[in-house]
Amino acid sequence: MFKNLLQAFVLNARIRNATIGVIALLGLSVVPFFNAPPPHVELAAEALLEHGPKWFTNGLLTTILVDLIIILMAVFAVSRMKEIPGAWQNIVEMLVEGMWNLTQSIAGHGSANSRKFFPWVITIFIFVLVSNYIGLLPGFGSIGIYHSGAESHAQGALDNQLAMAGAETIAVAAAAEEGKPVLVPLFRSPSADLNMTLALALISVFMTQFFGVQALGIRYFTKFFKNPFKDGMGAVVGFFELIAEISKIISFSFRLFGNIFAGEVVLLVMAFLVTFLLPSIFYGLELFIGFIQALVFMLLTLAFFTMATVSHDDHH
Amino acid sequence: MDALDKLGISWQLLLSQIVNFGLLMIILQQLLYKPVLNMLEQRRQRIAEGLEQADKASHAAAEAEAEKQGILEEARREAQEVRAQATRDAERIAQDVRSRADQEAQEIRMKAQADAEAQTAAVMADARKQIADLAIAATEQILGRELANRDEQERFVADYLAQQNGSGS
Repeated sequence: MFKNLLQAFVLNARIRNATIGVIALLGLSVVPFFNAPPPHVELAAEALLEHGPKWFTNGLLTTILVDLIIILMAVFAVSRMKEIPGAWQNIVEMLVEGMWNLTQSIAGHGSANSRKFFPWVITIFIFVLVSNYIGLLPGFGSIGIYHSGAESHAQGALDNQLAMAGAETIAVAAAAEEGKPVLVPLFRSPSADLNMTLALALISVFMTQFFGVQALGIRYFTKFFKNPFKDGMGAVVGFFELIAEISKIISFSFRLFGNIFAGEVVLLVMAFLVTFLLPSIFYGLELFIGFIQALVFMLLTLAFFTMATVSHDDHH
Repeated sequence: MDALDKLGISWQLLLSQIVNFGLLMIILQQLLYKPVLNMLEQRRQRIAEGLEQADKASHAAAEAEAEKQGILEEARREAQEVRAQATRDAERIAQDVRSRADQEAQEIRMKAQADAEAQTAAVMADARKQIADLAIAATEQILGRELANRDEQERFVADYLAQQNGSGS
């Protein structure tokens, strides 16, 4: 067995080169010069300019970037629209048609609801997908501006707490970082900024109520409020429904934020532990998660929209 | 609000994200979804039209084929009829010709027979007259003188010959 492997190693140039490459990269990872800096984990999006406006955060900058990318891609696909599509037009058409069919399959084929819901859910999907993926680009989290670090005491403490939950090494690193100049990344995935996920969650839940009222009128609210003297059990269920409706905001926003933020932290930690090779495996995982989260946000929104437009009195 | 602050949530940023999403949706609706869905619909219609036309064309081709077959069939039938008619006519004409030929042949034969009989009769009459003359001449020579009643003699010989001829035949 071992002899065979040795023989293959000596004879097969490909296997030999690959093995040497892997060993060399893993070896390089240990060399101090190539070590990734200790991960700087920041829960909140940070203001880019130390003395500038607080609202101008890296998350906001990246949101604008995401908008531009999406619009450019759309313009590129649509500007020279042809009956016989080119490659890019084909991809974009596939996306739009796929989402349209998905919307129809849930909200009803050719229904007015499908046409009403479609722009909301497809925009959620595209925006979240591009936001998730843009955070995986090289340079995100590593290119930034150094701040003196004087004002970030509170943040440092929070870093510490977060890091404690992870690994001891990170806690030590974070503690050592305090007081030193802090690198504020220029870009931050909008999905890793709670403002964005919370905004989408609010839009999703608010539009659910809006479409519900539009479809059923004031009757929509009987889902939540029932006369407790007539229908005691119904009133209790309605109360729970109300709580569930409100908690949707939290689940929506923290699901997306948690997945993407945690993914970025995982990538940072992996890069810190083993600089080469190991993070690539997790990149694959993050690509998958980024797609799934976009789809989940979109599908849940679509399902809630559809459910809100269905009358509950029909069951009686 | 301290907790929200630590999470980086501020109402300004939240509002900006909401507005951003709304704007993006409106822009994409005009820029992307409408044109793409229109294009898809247009293409769907085009394909449906194409299929329909192809269907129609194949239908027409089948019809033309059927018509061709019908025409060919009729032509064949007509040709058959014409041929049969022609055969019948030819037979009839042949029959006519044959019967007329037969008739003419018959006539010719009969005429020839009549001529032959007439000639024979003429020859016989001539022969009889000559024989009568010879007989008289012979008789005169034998007697050595001319018969007085020559006319009566001639009639006598002729009667005899006629009698001979009548009994002899």
